[in-house]
Amino acid sequence: MACVLGLLMALIPLALAEGVELQQLSTQRSEDGLSLSYSAKFELPPSADDALLKGVPIYFVVETTVLRNRWYWRDARVARASRSWRLAWQPLTRQYKVSSGGLNQSYATLTEALASIRDIAGWRIAELREIEDSGSYYLEFAFRLDTSQLPRPMQIGLGAPQGWGLSIERSLPLNPDFSIKP
Amino acid sequence: MSLVTMTGISGALAFLLSIGATGGRGFFERYYNSLFWLNALVATVLVAVIVVSGMRLLWQVKRGMFGSRLLLKLAGIFALVGVVPGVLIYTVSYQFVNRSIESWFDVRLASALEAGLNLGRSTLDSMVADLSQRTHDAAERMANGTSSQPQLLALERLREQLSARTVALVGSSGQVLLASGGDMRSLTPDRPSTRLMRQARDSGAASELEGLEDDAQAVQGLARIRALALIPGGGALSLVPGGAELRLGQAGSSGGERYLMVVQRIPASVLANALAVQTASSEYQQRALERDGLRRMYLGTLTLVLVLAVFAALLLAVTLGNQLARPLLVLADGVRQVARGDLSAKAALSAKDELSGLTRSFADMTEQLAEARGMVEQSVSQLESARTHLQTILDNLTAGVIVFEADGRISSANQGASSILHQPALRGLTLDKVPGLQDIAETVLQRFEQHEAEEGTDHWQDTFELQLRAGGDPLTLLVRGATLPQRARLMVFDDITDVVSAQRSAAWSEVARRLAHEIKNPLTPIQLSAERLQHKLEAKLEGADQSMLTRAVGTIVNQVQAMKQLVNEFRDYARLPSAKLKPLDLNALVSEVLTLYAEAQEKGHLTAQLEPEAERIVGDASQLRQVIHNLVQNALDAVQDSPDGHVVLRTEQSYSPEGDPRSVRLVITDNGPGFAEKVLKRAFEPYVTTKTKGTGLGLAVVKKIADEHGARIRLANLHGPENAGSEGSPSVTGAQVSLSFSKLATAADAGNSRSSPLES
Repeated sequence: MACVLGLLMALIPLALAEGVELQQLSTQRSEDGLSLSYSAKFELPPSADDALLKGVPIYFVVETTVLRNRWYWRDARVARASRSWRLAWQPLTRQYKVSSGGLNQSYATLTEALASIRDIAGWRIAELREIEDSGSYYLEFAFRLDTSQLPRPMQIGLGAPQGWGLSIERSLPLNPDFSIKP
Repeated sequence: MSLVTMTGISGALAFLLSIGATGGRGFFERYYNSLFWLNALVATVLVAVIVVSGMRLLWQVKRGMFGSRLLLKLAGIFALVGVVPGVLIYTVSYQFVNRSIESWFDVRLASALEAGLNLGRSTLDSMVADLSQRTHDAAERMANGTSSQPQLLALERLREQLSARTVALVGSSGQVLLASGGDMRSLTPDRPSTRLMRQARDSGAASELEGLEDDAQAVQGLARIRALALIPGGGALSLVPGGAELRLGQAGSSGGERYLMVVQRIPASVLANALAVQTASSEYQQRALERDGLRRMYLGTLTLVLVLAVFAALLLAVTLGNQLARPLLVLADGVRQVARGDLSAKAALSAKDELSGLTRSFADMTEQLAEARGMVEQSVSQLESARTHLQTILDNLTAGVIVFEADGRISSANQGASSILHQPALRGLTLDKVPGLQDIAETVLQRFEQHEAEEGTDHWQDTFELQLRAGGDPLTLLVRGATLPQRARLMVFDDITDVVSAQRSAAWSEVARRLAHEIKNPLTPIQLSAERLQHKLEAKLEGADQSMLTRAVGTIVNQVQAMKQLVNEFRDYARLPSAKLKPLDLNALVSEVLTLYAEAQEKGHLTAQLEPEAERIVGDASQLRQVIHNLVQNALDAVQDSPDGHVVLRTEQSYSPEGDPRSVRLVITDNGPGFAEKVLKRAFEPYVTTKTKGTGLGLAVVKKIADEHGARIRLANLHGPENAGSEGSPSVTGAQVSLSFSKLATAADAGNSRSSPLES
């Protein structure tokens, strides 16, 4: 089993990062379920900054998936969670507005606004019953600037050359107690 | 080819579909790159196909392959028709898109929007600053003024003064101590933010906009300005008349600072306008940001569609050109073949259009042409064979046939004519130029003209005597003439010399028979009467009378005998009994006859050289005996005047090249004066003779008998060898008659009659 796992781990790219540095990522199993905390460090690319100041809202998405290893089939996806932010500049008030879910918050500076996106603590990503089965689990974590929600004409030819790439993907094995393996 | 066309069309369709799908979930934008490269790939393939087929076409044109020029022309026309409108539309669209995208962006519009935004911003800013200032003033007044009014009432009055929504006293940690007015939805007004608190502590007064996070809620009244001002000396301020509250307040405000918080609603109209300007401005700027992308998208789409359309058009052009050119090529190929003379079955297309119908009609036409030509060839060959047939007949006719043209020249003459007239080349001559025919040319011409004038009969006929060669025998010609179409004239003539001769022979035999009969009858009574006279009177006469009587009677009897012999000869000639052919030995027969000429043999005038190996022949012994007798007598008569006259009688055996016996010849040679030239021609006619005595019937009888025996008889003069080459008539040294018997007795016949060589 471990062998298979090791093989799988070898096959899965451990990290794909573009302009994002993950400073801290941890999971904790509590009575409610599995919760995740992370802290990322990134700067908005200049072109994205420019577009933001011209009124284009910028979306950030963080997605986590908990999967259970299965040797005989595709790995089972046991839980999935995502969260997105909408960052927009309000020229009228000279404020950055961050919306996530139904919550709106305004910030006077971009740094403050990004700070609210960078860190999450205690985000429940799986219910307890979803991770009850025995077996080895692993976590897929992705954080990125979501270009697919940009206005369509801007999406043409978007990619790293245009300086819009901002993402990080991690695949992390979980200990039996659902803490991230060091 | 059609496969590639389909690919091109499907590629274009895929592209168009993807454009149509832009209404969905941004399929086109997301896969723009993939689509672009896919289309570029399709375009490349199309370019390759077009280049290849174009090269092939050009190569065919260069090599002069049939029909390639037509194909090139058609493809060129179709390509022009397809490409030119496409390029035109592309150019116009390109300009149009470029211009319209550019026209969205206007500097004045941009600056106006910017100005509007600034206006809104400054309005809001001024409202914020104003409220901040007024709050600050109110706070100072509140600190200085020793108002006797209860605090709550004072706040209420202040709220009215400032026309604010909420006026509140806030403690140092931000807790609301006392509030007037406020939100209906909550019992206590919101606490100010820590940032605002800090600013107010630092600078005495601070204010900020709130509730603008959500545009819709902001317009509904959530947007407000919150101002906070530090109340100087706030520690001494008694908030309420009651000591308990004051204490409480004092106890609660450990820092001792008090703040005056004023919350004011932003007028909805101002806010709405400002927000509208903000929205417009940000949309405008967004669009400016999207400008390049849009242009790239539209123009890229246009270009790709153009490229695909053009290539598809080119492919279609080639395909259509092929299709259109095919019947034409089939037709042209057929025409070329027919022009070369090849009338074999031509290919025809089965499609229903007119061009294919043309190919079918052409095939039908060619077939009919081939049939017609076949019929013509057949009839020509029939005509040819008929002509050959006729020519063969003409060539083998013994009669001469001569055709004259209208001007009198001979246009054709057959072999018979040439051999009769002894003129190998008659063509091109007129009749009076033909040697020997000058004499009759005039007459023949006259007869023709006479005949043409008569219009009654279809031919004329006449007999002419011709002297072809000087000293030669005259030729008797039976000439028949007829007119041919186009004033040509036909002359047919026969050499009837032999016929005339035969007729003459027949006539003579008839005359001889009758004469013999008539003469013979009185001869016997004459002889008997004479003998009777002698018998009666001989005794009565004496001397000279008696001898005279005896002489006279002897003369009468002798002459009557001679006359009888003469008559018998005539009779024999006229009515020879038909020969009874039996096998016999010619040598024996000759020996038997020669016993009668013992005297001549003894004198050395006659010698016989008999071939002992001679085969037996078939013949009538008595008739042959007469033949030998006649010939020997003739020869002896010819040499009787010369003292050294000599006659040789030979028999010879001749053999065929294979060695079989062919014929037996009897040759009688003398060294007399020979035959006269005239006699040679007509020796076998009766009464043609060189002898002083004789009836002249001998050779005629010989000829008749020889004919009955199927034997060939030849008369010839012998010439001295020294005079062979001299000119004129060579000197004759003798004559020769030869009889060759080709009817030999077969072995069976020979066996039957070997014992008796001579019958009868």
